[in-house]
Amino acid sequence: MLYSARPMLRSLTVLVFALGLSGCITARMQDNRESVTGIAEGESVVIMARSYHLGNETEAKYISCVENALAKGSRGLRVIPHREFVDSLFPWFEPRTAPAETKGLPKLMERPGVAKRLADQQVRYIIWLEGDTERVAGGGSLSCAAGPGGGGCFGFAWWQNDADYNASVWDLKGLESAGTVSADVSGTSFLPALVVPIPLIARTQAAACKGLADQLRTFISDDSSA
Amino acid sequence: MTLQAPSFPTPLVEKLPVKVGLRLSPEMKQFSHEEKVFGKETWSVDFGDANARLFRQLFDHMFTDVTILTADDNPDLLPIDALVETSIDAFEFSVPEQTSSNSFAVWIRYRLKVYDDRGDMIANWPVSAYGKSETKALGGSDALEKAALLAMRDAAALMIMKLDAETGISSLGAVSAPATAESPMETDEDVAISVNSDNTSPFVAGGINQDAI
Repeated sequence: MLYSARPMLRSLTVLVFALGLSGCITARMQDNRESVTGIAEGESVVIMARSYHLGNETEAKYISCVENALAKGSRGLRVIPHREFVDSLFPWFEPRTAPAETKGLPKLMERPGVAKRLADQQVRYIIWLEGDTERVAGGGSLSCAAGPGGGGCFGFAWWQNDADYNASVWDLKGLESAGTVSADVSGTSFLPALVVPIPLIARTQAAACKGLADQLRTFISDDSSA
Repeated sequence: MTLQAPSFPTPLVEKLPVKVGLRLSPEMKQFSHEEKVFGKETWSVDFGDANARLFRQLFDHMFTDVTILTADDNPDLLPIDALVETSIDAFEFSVPEQTSSNSFAVWIRYRLKVYDDRGDMIANWPVSAYGKSETKALGGSDALEKAALLAMRDAAALMIMKLDAETGISSLGAVSAPATAESPMETDEDVAISVNSDNTSPFVAGGINQDAI
């Protein structure tokens, strides 16, 4: 009895420590400014994903996360939900038809109703996201068993996720590129198990979302000379 | 999986001044496809009349006058400038297990045959469209349905962009549409991304008998 209780106690001790821990994350945010930015009251931004026709795999939930993070707080920007925006300008922002470069913007503005629809919504910036989160490495071994007297797991597993996203900011006021902002986040998660598995999860994509949104907000708002 | 009645936004285009007769092939009004994948699951997609709805909506937005013809209607007796016959060449899909991804993808190839008021065929245009949807958060059938709807929406966008350039249908109107920047139709170089606007497809064609086209 004594021999079986010790590992359990040890596991619980580890669990208590683990509750305050998570996986390891390293993050790098960068921006590259090409023109002066700024946003007036009432003006809005739209977050779009680069076309999957071009092989882009940006996750829908990541786009929603950046939308929410950009709009949050007292310094939050006015964000038009991308689906609402795309529907309002159908078919000019579909995966097949959306302009791939800013040089396509003047032609787009000439189309019937497009300039007015953008003006009505006071869209100042379109932010194009590309990139995704991928599992790039992993290892370890974990096995679990269960019997009439109970069950448990033993072992250790780990995995590493990389989240690489790039945001191109288009300024519709000058029909030009304002610059790019990128997020490169790497997170390693651990799952040790001594009877009870203790997940130490690195929330890589969430970190990339928050980091990119913060950087975008600063990139767009902080220059008040526009 | 049965597609819910799709609805597409009103497109930001000006209508072409052409009186068009639209004849939908039988499979446009009731189309379904079933396929067993990797010896595992069998997937079934039932479009119902979603394709017919797509074309009716689209043509109503693209032309000033649209008449829907049944199989028995004689176009020679109707006051139309052009007759457009639509059909489905092929339908294909992939599931995540096939592509080692977390996405469902759907390819649809429609075919549009355009006839002038003398009954001569002036264009025979295959319209290849593609839609993709992540399976996360959605169930598999929901993601497949979304991919199918996105493929139909992609087809609509392609037709708005290139129908006139590919078929010359505006020249059949009583007053030919001017080729100005305000025309909803486009030339090839205006299309930002051109995907499979020919007969190519990454998968072997399936779904219906192409010999019937």
